[in-house]
Amino acid sequence: MKLPRLILVTGKGGTGKSTVAAALALALSHRRPATLAYQERPHSAAQILVGAQPRADTHGTPDGKVSLVALDWRRELENFIERIVPFKALAHRMLESRTFSYVSAAVPGLQAFLLLERMRVLAGNAALLDEFSVVDAPATGNALELLDAPAGIMTVAPLGTLNRMASQVHEFLRDPARFGAVLVLKPEEFALRETTEGLQAFERIGARVTAAVINCVPDRLFDAHELKAIRRSVPEHAALAEHRQQMISRALAARRQLRRLGLEVIELPMIFARTLGHAAVAALAERLERELSRP
Amino acid sequence: MSAKRGRSGAPGRRLVVCLGLGGVGKTTIGAALGVAAALGGANVDMMTIDPAARLLDALNLDPTSADLREVDLGKLARSENDDEPRARGQTLRPGRLRALKLDAKHTFDELVKRYAPSAQARDAILENRIYRGLSAALAGVAHYMAIERVLELCADPTASVIVLDTPPAAAALDFLDAPNRLLDLLNSRAIGLLGSPRTFARRGLRMVDLVARAVLRAFDRLTGLHLLGDVQTFITSFAGMYGGFAERAERGRNLVRSTEATLVVVTTPTLERVQEALEFIQSLRKSGLEPSAVVVNRVTKELPGVRELERSGLPEPLRRKVEQNHAEYAALRSREGQGLALLRRELHAKTPLLFVTNLESEPSTLAELALLGRALRLLLHA
Repeated sequence: MKLPRLILVTGKGGTGKSTVAAALALALSHRRPATLAYQERPHSAAQILVGAQPRADTHGTPDGKVSLVALDWRRELENFIERIVPFKALAHRMLESRTFSYVSAAVPGLQAFLLLERMRVLAGNAALLDEFSVVDAPATGNALELLDAPAGIMTVAPLGTLNRMASQVHEFLRDPARFGAVLVLKPEEFALRETTEGLQAFERIGARVTAAVINCVPDRLFDAHELKAIRRSVPEHAALAEHRQQMISRALAARRQLRRLGLEVIELPMIFARTLGHAAVAALAERLERELSRP
Repeated sequence: MSAKRGRSGAPGRRLVVCLGLGGVGKTTIGAALGVAAALGGANVDMMTIDPAARLLDALNLDPTSADLREVDLGKLARSENDDEPRARGQTLRPGRLRALKLDAKHTFDELVKRYAPSAQARDAILENRIYRGLSAALAGVAHYMAIERVLELCADPTASVIVLDTPPAAAALDFLDAPNRLLDLLNSRAIGLLGSPRTFARRGLRMVDLVARAVLRAFDRLTGLHLLGDVQTFITSFAGMYGGFAERAERGRNLVRSTEATLVVVTTPTLERVQEALEFIQSLRKSGLEPSAVVVNRVTKELPGVRELERSGLPEPLRRKVEQNHAEYAALRSREGQGLALLRRELHAKTPLLFVTNLESEPSTLAELALLGRALRLLLHA
């Protein structure tokens, strides 16, 4: 599978998107050093991955392969202002001004835009160092809002620095060597429709979707005969066996449909474990690594 | 927790507010409550924020309209009566159910039209670039408009239960304080800062502000945004409407804190979500509020026993597989158990904790919503 420098992992809340992002970063780190950019939250998958609270802005996992970068809208704004305002003192004064915080909040899509700009920089660094970067997309707001941000910025700022930056971000998103998205879904009803909408949002701006990941797919345990036998002999266990079967059939249906839309599809197993720790993320990473190595 | 709660609005009316993070099923839980209340005889008005397509269909909502629409309960009420046998001649008379989908922009427009001191001021705002690009970007407009729309619903005395779905929020304050934050902006020194130098002199602004003003102007030029003029127009046009907005915000705040409000926090049982929900509840407590109940959605069903498998007569290999399947689901349940135990520990003993088991499919018809709502009826009598 041809991989871009930076992969944005998106999906609805509850699909296990953060865990997939962490596992993907770990999988890629077996080839090249990798960076995982994530939203700072307690108990996040990224922290499970490193097994500790992040101490600083950036630091490595115990084995030193995945570096973590915490994304924070306020910090991105500060970086951005410091870049475009020539004097540091001036930049600080501006950031402290309440009025400024109102003005910046009033620019439609500025937050999303700054996140995309950060991704562009991350991808640039990754290319320079021959590394990979994985971004766990923020839970709030959908892919649509995120992807529309550059166009929105170009409309409100027809000229000037922001406009230039927005067109660079737009180019970045359309460059398959630098950017690709991974759409995460679970084998649930209606998940397919949401994923298709996500796919269309990326296609509309000309961005590439590297793969769809169907997460939480149980291994097949029973065939049709066996299910019948269970229904007959131990009916109280039938619902449980059928639940498993239903997830498998839904995953199958989703895979067919997504392949028909021209997508690469990766299935990840349901982790039936009492705790979701480092071992689980490592197991998912191993599976991803195998899938990514397919010709 | 002694939340300061006073009465306001119609006596005996109940306002059910569903709060929580995104993706936990707030809208579905809210809709189920609404349907159950209406079938129980209440006159229900319900506001949804961003319903999935399956709920739009079930609730007869038109995605392009912001108006309340009647949901036809006729057939459902009849089958409900068949399901629950009653004394002869005594059938349940359903109330009415109306639902709407929040359109924040439309609500904001209506507010502006109502409070603008003149047609000129109204047009200046409605055509302002900042206002038009505002949608949800500015200081929680969606949250504020949700509260505003509920005030409108409360103005109708015929409604006995009002169910309110809220925009996803990580902190309770995002929602509860939204009116304050918007008012803060509209009434801020920003007006003075952006205004003419003469206003400056009158207000006696400090040197710091002068520097900030210069910097802002530089920012405006550098970025090519040329926003300052528009922000200034926007804020000054609002000056005349401030009183009306402030009064509405105050009423909204009182409503959520009143005794008639039932605050329902919705979560799912995974440890991560529970921890986020507890942070949310902490932020509620900081503003002097306690959840009336917590609903845990999508809990794995109770598992059957394994003992009877021994005597089941299943061939050995298949029996092993059934046992494996059972063990794996037991592990999932135990993972959820950690989240639920934490929730129980952190909640007050008297706060009801309700569970909704993981359904084969998410409710997508009125009948399915009614079934789910039946399990949650307790909330309507809390």
